[in-house]
Amino acid sequence: MDDDNKQSALGRIGFWVGIVLFLIFTLFPLYWVLRMSLVSSDALFEKPSFGTIFSIPFDMSGKCNLFGLKFSCPPSYQTVLADDLYKDGLLNSLIIAGITTIVCLVVGSAAAYALARIEFVARKPVLSAVLAISFFPAVAIIAPLFIQFQSFGLLNTYWAAIIPDVMFALPLTVYLLVAYFRQLPADLEDAAKVDGANVWQAFYRVTIPLSAPGVVTTGLLTFIFAWNEFLFANTFLLEPKVQPATVIIPQFASIYTVDYGAQAAAALLMTVPLVIMVLFFQRRIVAGLTAGAVK
Amino acid sequence: MGVASERLPGGKAKPGRLSGAWGSVRSEFNDPEKRTAYWMILPTTLIVLLVAAWPILYAVWLSLQRILPNTTEWVWFDNYAQMFADPVFYSALSNTFFFTVISVFFEFTLGLSIALALNKSFRGQGTARAIAIVPWAFPTVVSGAMWRLFYQDEVGIFAALASGLGYEGVILANDASVLIGAIVSDVWKTTPFVALLLLAGLQTIPGDVYEAARVDGATKWQQFTRVTLPLLKPAILVALLFRTLDAWRVYDLFWSMSDRQLDSLSTYVFEFVRVSQADFSIGNAAAVFVFVSSIVIAFVFVKVLGVRQEA
Amino acid sequence: MGGRHRERRGGLSRRDFLKYGSAGILGASVLSSCSRVASGFTGAETVPEGTLIFSHGPDSSGTIPKVIAKFNKDNQDGITVLYREAPADSGQYFDKLRTEFQAGGATTDIISGDVIWPAQFGPNGWIVDLSDRFTKEMQSQFLEPAIETNTFDGKIYGVPWFADVGMLYYRTDLLEEAGLDAPPRTWDELMEMAREVQDKTNTQYGLLFQGAEYEGGVVNGLEFIYNAGAEVMPPDDPTKIVIDQGGADKGLAMQQRLVVEGVAPEAVSTWKELETQDAFIKGNAVFMRSWPFVYGTILGGKETGSELKPDQVGVAPIPTLAEGDESFSGQGGWNFFINADTKKADECFKFIEYMIQPEIQAEFAVGASFLPPRTSLYEDEKLLKDQPVIELAKDLVTRMKPRPRHPFYSDMSLVMADEFNSVIKNDSSPDEAVRALQTELERLANLGAEVYDL
Repeated sequence: MDDDNKQSALGRIGFWVGIVLFLIFTLFPLYWVLRMSLVSSDALFEKPSFGTIFSIPFDMSGKCNLFGLKFSCPPSYQTVLADDLYKDGLLNSLIIAGITTIVCLVVGSAAAYALARIEFVARKPVLSAVLAISFFPAVAIIAPLFIQFQSFGLLNTYWAAIIPDVMFALPLTVYLLVAYFRQLPADLEDAAKVDGANVWQAFYRVTIPLSAPGVVTTGLLTFIFAWNEFLFANTFLLEPKVQPATVIIPQFASIYTVDYGAQAAAALLMTVPLVIMVLFFQRRIVAGLTAGAVK
Repeated sequence: MGVASERLPGGKAKPGRLSGAWGSVRSEFNDPEKRTAYWMILPTTLIVLLVAAWPILYAVWLSLQRILPNTTEWVWFDNYAQMFADPVFYSALSNTFFFTVISVFFEFTLGLSIALALNKSFRGQGTARAIAIVPWAFPTVVSGAMWRLFYQDEVGIFAALASGLGYEGVILANDASVLIGAIVSDVWKTTPFVALLLLAGLQTIPGDVYEAARVDGATKWQQFTRVTLPLLKPAILVALLFRTLDAWRVYDLFWSMSDRQLDSLSTYVFEFVRVSQADFSIGNAAAVFVFVSSIVIAFVFVKVLGVRQEA
Repeated sequence: MGGRHRERRGGLSRRDFLKYGSAGILGASVLSSCSRVASGFTGAETVPEGTLIFSHGPDSSGTIPKVIAKFNKDNQDGITVLYREAPADSGQYFDKLRTEFQAGGATTDIISGDVIWPAQFGPNGWIVDLSDRFTKEMQSQFLEPAIETNTFDGKIYGVPWFADVGMLYYRTDLLEEAGLDAPPRTWDELMEMAREVQDKTNTQYGLLFQGAEYEGGVVNGLEFIYNAGAEVMPPDDPTKIVIDQGGADKGLAMQQRLVVEGVAPEAVSTWKELETQDAFIKGNAVFMRSWPFVYGTILGGKETGSELKPDQVGVAPIPTLAEGDESFSGQGGWNFFINADTKKADECFKFIEYMIQPEIQAEFAVGASFLPPRTSLYEDEKLLKDQPVIELAKDLVTRMKPRPRHPFYSDMSLVMADEFNSVIKNDSSPDEAVRALQTELERLANLGAEVYDL
């Protein structure tokens, strides 16, 4: 994809200006949240002005203890890292989000393949039904779901969060994968079928590898959704032992006050694994590009 | 296009529409490829029916009754009548409408631009992608409260920047500025989602298609409109459809950022279904309204943008 | 296929380090939490049989676990109590409990609840009627308003744990500077004083209060109404609404005036306790209406962010509208309820009895700044010395006035919060607001009377 020489210079400048502006817009609120987590509580509520934006009055008066390493850190991080519920919560988040993603990808990709490639009678109704279930406002089915889970003894288990998460993530998973599968020319799969492969084999030997960017993206988006999900976890997981980190974070508060510094620290720590995942997987996304061009 | 009406040899046409439909489904079981298709959609369909259908139908059924702590009476559409007579409902509706239209517009245009930009190879591309995802990855349960703090008079950074630029009012005290603030916050958070979605779509387009177009003498703009956009259509449709429906059902952002001052359709549902005791039933009616209106929106989208079957 | 990781000879590349490192951490944490995680999938009960579960919001002072540990060790009946943290936000906590109650399976045995809950839980049969356990004799040892708020329809549903009362904070040093020597008794006086002090000392804000659209806004609005000599509901008749009589609109009009005329900043319509506290402890306001917890922040000094010293701050009753009227304060506080589903109601009550003993209440007062609901403790010399907040609140706790007690209070609160906030923002007139409230609250009261047979 080369540039036209005529538009090269202008295009490149515009491109870089755009990237920089975009990064500023994206990063500034995050920078501010980071700043909130690093400063002491009275600096937190200091009236901000143009002069103080880039000054960070670090407050290192806290003592943190991470995996046995002791070091000085801002008090917000001390509060968060010392909180066992939060650390357990991160593990719970991982379990819930991980299982949700796996289920959605496995179940959803199979369904998406059928819906994208095969003409069958139930195709349209299934597509519509799958989409329609995500239309209902989650808040309105909390009570019926609560009763359902209670009668099956699923309350306070991970399943009570995994099932609604899958329910609400599946439509997007299916639709995304249908879209990515459709973008692939069908002749590769047809060639495989000519070679004797059945539908399943065409699916996982040809389609999945070729649509790797799509599959990985869908998996990442699903994971992020389940990782940050709050409503179902908050309502159905009543015991701290199964609560994910999203439910624990608002607890850094009291009746009249909110510990914004601790919540900022906790939220940032929660986001770090996701960023690591994206960094790790984005090579797969790139790799898919080169594979797709190869016949 | 409609339902495939092919009949395989040996399949019988049964009388009646429903049994006719089931009949055609059954007849498809004879074709190994179509049978596989049914197996492939089975888990998803089960989840949809068992987990989702029951609570939704139950909520619809509840919406036709007046539920009070000690009594339940069947009132047909009275709840809906009350809802449509409630001025708060209309303010929730208009807030949600403006929020949806404006934020989806910005999210889509910005998201597409970013996806196109990130699609080029440049140094730091991977890092830029990882950075781009952080707003979307940041937990919603905290970001609503944080944004409210940013806009809060006296202590908020954006309130300070705004007044530094000459803005005189209290951002959070004015419904219009709260809505704008919510839109800004949502665009910040969701543009990466759209960008990532479209980026994956862009990267599935094989490079030789562009080569062929270039060889044919197409300019960059023509390449974009004649090659990229059409091939990207499925991904665009999904992005637009889901973003619009998400925005239509926005709840977290309005609840935590506007802190009850501004109602969206979903916070309206929440107030009645979860907070109120006396008017619980109206909440169910509102939930059904959101459900039905979402179906209408999806229908319009699919019709307008068209879902072309590609061989 | 693959990326561009640089393999340093004999060492790990950055990518690999990340990979193995995170896998290692993951593995270690999973292994150490195996049993907990396993029970997370199977739903196996991890709480020992016979343990009573007690729920309350987060306690940063650590006093609650300490006292409970003492109880578990010292009690003669072999009762073990487990403290389970409830949501910090009262509304969320209420929502959670109500969902559980409605589905029929709340697992908490002893519930610590807000003052507005007894009338919402009791008539539905979700919490135990304590009339025969919490005798009239015992009740007489507690502050009257605390008892009142736990009572509904002739039954008492809760035992007071600690109280919270609305108070007017003022800057003694600023008043002195302006030549004033006593806090205002009426709102008109306050307005005058605020203007004078602001002129002479260049202070940014005259008065701060919580006017956002939430429960705290309801408390603030009700204070203005009560202090205008009006009522929303007669104390013993939950079927009548009387907000359109007695001058409630004048009370709300005063609240509106304070904002419109600039004594209180426009931003109060979006502010809650945290924002108002922050502005006050940074020295930017002359007067502030808030709760006792602010004094605790001031006592904490620089560490808790206060730029004020205790001797710069005084506390007075909430001003009234008319000269000479009795002053009322908004009432908060938390109380013990017993889940009607529990199988161990007697044991639960034993725990409650332990918690309301004078010594234990004193411990909470000093450790967690909980205002005790026992009248005798307000005369206790030692306690007054150890916890200065008690001295401040001594007079005010007798002036507490509960919010309307009604099974549909949640609905009423939604309406009141909305209307009060509208008035403060000058979006509707006090008259309009009162009329709207009368209509809507009456509808709810009538419905409640019908449903609950009041």
